[in-house]
Amino acid sequence: MKLGLYIFSAIVLIISPFLGEITLNLNELFDSSTITYKVFWELRVSRVLLAFFVGGILALSGLIFQIIFKNALITPYTLGIASGTTLFTAISIVFFPAMILSISSAFGSLITITILYYISKNINKNTISVSTNSILLIGIALSYFYSSALMLVFYMSNLEQNYSIVRFTLGSLDTVGFTSSFVIFMMAAIMYMTIYVNRAKIKLLLISNDTAFLKGLNVHKLNLLLLIVISICVGVSISFVGPIGFIGLVVPHIIKLIYKKSADQLIFPVFFYGGIFLVMSDLISRNLNTASSLPIGVVTAFIGAPFFVYLLIKRNKKD
Amino acid sequence: MLEINKYNSNILHDITFSLEEDENLIMLGENGAGKSTLAKVLSNLIENNNVKLFEENISDLSDDKRAAYINYIPPKLSIFDEYITLREFFELSCIDQVDNKKIDKLIDILNLKKLEKKYCKAFSSGEKQLLLLGSSILHDAKITIFDELTANLDITRLKEVFDIFNSNYLKQKIVITHNLDLAYALKFKVLYMRDGRIEFFGKHEEFFCNANLKKFYNDSILKINEHLVVNL
Repeated sequence: MKLGLYIFSAIVLIISPFLGEITLNLNELFDSSTITYKVFWELRVSRVLLAFFVGGILALSGLIFQIIFKNALITPYTLGIASGTTLFTAISIVFFPAMILSISSAFGSLITITILYYISKNINKNTISVSTNSILLIGIALSYFYSSALMLVFYMSNLEQNYSIVRFTLGSLDTVGFTSSFVIFMMAAIMYMTIYVNRAKIKLLLISNDTAFLKGLNVHKLNLLLLIVISICVGVSISFVGPIGFIGLVVPHIIKLIYKKSADQLIFPVFFYGGIFLVMSDLISRNLNTASSLPIGVVTAFIGAPFFVYLLIKRNKKD
Repeated sequence: MLEINKYNSNILHDITFSLEEDENLIMLGENGAGKSTLAKVLSNLIENNNVKLFEENISDLSDDKRAAYINYIPPKLSIFDEYITLREFFELSCIDQVDNKKIDKLIDILNLKKLEKKYCKAFSSGEKQLLLLGSSILHDAKITIFDELTANLDITRLKEVFDIFNSNYLKQKIVITHNLDLAYALKFKVLYMRDGRIEFFGKHEEFFCNANLKKFYNDSILKINEHLVVNL
């Protein structure tokens, strides 16, 4: 199954830039003066790369957040980081148009995780273990707060800003040229390396925070490092493509069900298939022949949710 | 060498005692007396400034050093990841380097070969407790605190655990238990707690005299032929 999946993924990656609204003339692929060249390289290939790295970042962030907070439902989205990022992006669209969106997005993401982390530390004074239910509840409360604040910003904006905000919240992988995909590639590389280098320590967190502490791990320091790096990377990703939900929740679980290995051995598969999942969802959304291309989040949830439920049922039958 | 000096909290009151380097300890007391809380204080899972390990304040110790000095084995194995195998769990138990020969030997001793590649989360509660015991041997801290390790073990397993407690697989041991027969047979020093206070701290022979048994357990315990039995 694993080999088959890798082959299938490679095929998806390769054919993805060839399919789309405009049919390509394959002879002109390497002739830089043609439209085909521009469409293929600067629109499609760059888009596939962007989708791949964003998908990887989102899936991996879900996996690590679940480990840090010891709860299978926690992702940057359920904790309100995505809505925090969206709010700060909207604020910067309306009030600080000169500011680079990625910076305000990363800022929104960092602020949210800081609030969450310190509240959770205060709830669990003097102990290492975190109460995950309260964190999840605080995250949900924060999400609602951010949503209403976003509405406020929305009503204070003019028509043009209004349109930008709506487009942003729907999420889109539209890109021209390689700047965005390069930035996101850098973010993905930083995040992946940080996690990979610390994988032995992360494995201790897989048992429990108490155990990790008793084995001599500085749990707070590691958690803080991971949370900061991941929040920045997720924040920057969201600033380029908008909030795309579901990947962070569902991909780590799907990979766990397929591989049946401890999470520290799943860093690469989760990243890789997160990327493939988004590339494939984007491929579908671009080729449905709808009047305008479907928001990517619609597709991710539409194929992700049923597949996830199918795997869960299949697993329970085996047990 | 373990010292705790005037520790107070909501649950514990005025806790002071010390153990020499070669002394093992049994902690007894009713449910809710504060034994587990005290164990967490001693291992700094509950942060404090009152505990001294080998003449050094526990809060000033580096994480590595503290881990080499003291280990706490909880009553229940809590494990987040579903797919950690017994072998992996044992590998994680070594604080310095993974020593595969040592792990193989331990799996033999504890008779766990058939579970080696199985996922820990699916183990029975007794198997989980053996896993924790094995883990504590691999960790090999200078002081190990066992919190109700024997609660779910069947009789033959209990005997095996008793033999391990009684041997020198582990250095210094602090054993929290409700099993008075085990406590009596181990002949360790005894600490008895009630309502967050230390009611008795002293030698084994002093605690297990009839006067003290009556004082701490009323008439529910009888001493018959060097064994303690519940008076039903």
